[in-house]
Amino acid sequence: MKPFHHAKRAAIGIASFAAAGVLLAGCSTVGAAAPAESDDDTFTVGFAVGGQPDADWQELQGDVAAGLAEQRGWDFVELSNDNSEATATKNADVFIQKGVDVVMMFNGQPSANPVIAKKYAEADIPVITFDIAQEGWYFVGVDNAAAGTDGGTKLGELADEKWDCKVDLVISAEGTSAGQINEWRTGNARDAVKSACPDIPEDAYVSYEADGNLTTSLANAPGVFAAHPDAKNILVVGINDQAVVGALQAATQLGRDGSIMGWGQDGGLITGDNVDPNLVGSVMYFLEGYPAFAYQIADEIAAGNAPEVKDTGDDAAVSVTPCPVTKDEAAAIPSIDDRVAQLADAPEGTTEYDLFCTT
Amino acid sequence: MTTTLITSTEPSRPGRQGGARRPDARPNVALRDALSIAGVWLLLSVPTTIVRPDFLSTQTLLAITFTMSISGVLAVAQALVVISGGLLDLSLPVALVLSAWAAVAALTSGLPTWAAVILGILAGAAWGSLNGLIVVFGKLNPIIVTLATGFGGLAVMLIFFKSAQIPSTSDLRLFGLGRFLGLPNVFWPMVALIVLTGLALTYTRWGRHLVAVGGNPRAARARGISLRRTRFFVFLGAGAIAGAAGVLFSAVNPSFTPASGAGFQLIVIAAVILAGISLSGGKGNLLVLLLSVGFLATIPASIAFFGLAPAWALVFQGALLILAVGIDGYRLKRSAR
Repeated sequence: MKPFHHAKRAAIGIASFAAAGVLLAGCSTVGAAAPAESDDDTFTVGFAVGGQPDADWQELQGDVAAGLAEQRGWDFVELSNDNSEATATKNADVFIQKGVDVVMMFNGQPSANPVIAKKYAEADIPVITFDIAQEGWYFVGVDNAAAGTDGGTKLGELADEKWDCKVDLVISAEGTSAGQINEWRTGNARDAVKSACPDIPEDAYVSYEADGNLTTSLANAPGVFAAHPDAKNILVVGINDQAVVGALQAATQLGRDGSIMGWGQDGGLITGDNVDPNLVGSVMYFLEGYPAFAYQIADEIAAGNAPEVKDTGDDAAVSVTPCPVTKDEAAAIPSIDDRVAQLADAPEGTTEYDLFCTT
Repeated sequence: MTTTLITSTEPSRPGRQGGARRPDARPNVALRDALSIAGVWLLLSVPTTIVRPDFLSTQTLLAITFTMSISGVLAVAQALVVISGGLLDLSLPVALVLSAWAAVAALTSGLPTWAAVILGILAGAAWGSLNGLIVVFGKLNPIIVTLATGFGGLAVMLIFFKSAQIPSTSDLRLFGLGRFLGLPNVFWPMVALIVLTGLALTYTRWGRHLVAVGGNPRAARARGISLRRTRFFVFLGAGAIAGAAGVLFSAVNPSFTPASGAGFQLIVIAAVILAGISLSGGKGNLLVLLLSVGFLATIPASIAFFGLAPAWALVFQGALLILAVGIDGYRLKRSAR
């Protein structure tokens, strides 16, 4: 009897692991419109959404990409990277096995990208990556340098208009872990403020670590205001809206919000019912609309004229144009779901910038 | 097992006779810890004041008291878990955001402010109870359990909400923006909690049981103290306090996401360990904890006054945690001699 029990237990164990494996594999896919292995002539797009849980725009990128494929009569396979290196690697195997003609993806965990790149290179499948560069992959991303300059220019112009450029303090809410992107967004914004208001003294420019989130920004910004007790007219730039709003909220806590203006990046907190009264504008990227730019490359690949691979943020295959908007202009921009719906109905080649950026 | 607010609670060691202690030992330890923190605080403040005399200003006081408000309340919750021998509760940031979310959801659905506050605290208590049940009845390592429930809780919150915004005209939000006696409103509940919890640890049976269970579980059991019940209620109480922190958090953060509490983890653990609240349990003083939280809140202000590059804040935080753990290890070795 004993051996039988062992065998039974082993069988149950193997079955359990197999079931768990199937379940896990199933969890990693988002609406895999799995066509048969691509052995016909229909062009097939493999699309891997990022799968970061608190980012609606990543899932919507998949919806936009699916609509654009349908518009062109192409096959479309969608998977989710589940914000995991392992899943992103496994997804590469799936796309290769399905014989897709091009892969588009956002991978928020890029440490596996070199391995994934090797797999795609061996399978001779071109890859278009969003925002995170990888050697050999077409880079599609927002022009962060231009975004920083645009935001800083608009804020500087407002300072000129309202305060005649009499600015006592320019605060930069940084996210240093973002490296070059942080420097582009905040450094260029500072430079642009300098260009608009050249008489602001050098020591009026200060930076602090906001880590790109409101909570950290709100914890660290009070010290900055305390360290500049005489500053009256204050400007705030930052790596994103959360960082800037953290500084603006800290000013309110310390009673320093009498004459302060902030200009954010990414448009995350410039719309809705609770916009900070001192957040005067932001730079919108329309992240969910990135696939419209990626399809410009895919169209050429499908036509047999694959463009030269440009794989860095400095020299992007397609540079997404940022859209600086004031608070009032932002209020007129449709919600993210409406934007996706309108883009789906727009003529081929249209981007969200064309549709919604009126500045 | 009598203690005072400024007396470190150091229960009997196995080698001593059933709970007896040297009468002067605890006040000395507490005083030493308090003086150590005050000394380090001075080491930070004096050079800053020499470089920038305007460091000593009401603006700096406002900045420090505001920064320490939420982390101070969370540190009390963490301190209770550590003193009771529960090692650490790594899910406190989730308890914080869960409670904040509950409070904001209540306000958004039209419930009065008092109901939102109670709901927030109850959400934290429920979260603590969940941890307590798993730790106590599953007899599992609290660090592993709270790490797991922290991940799970975060995932569940991410399913139900992406971000939450407190109504800008609500009484709770206005409370978060106001001041009392020249200091932020949110500072005073933190002070009250530290004092009340310190008194409870000293003068209530619950508090004495908590310290006894953390210091020497075997001796505590021999005295008829239920380890399970005490540890369960410690997690419940810590959860409720984290719930209070969540309510305050929602009052000062106009918008937050499920992951917004993550930034508190490091600072709260550092505050507890720096305060001499040993990870081995049974020892801790909440007034020293107040000093520790104040010192840590002074660091970002000091960095701003020195005009150091932003990345230094990260360097200081990491270094402090290593320092704190090192000090705790040193104290343990010394007390074992």
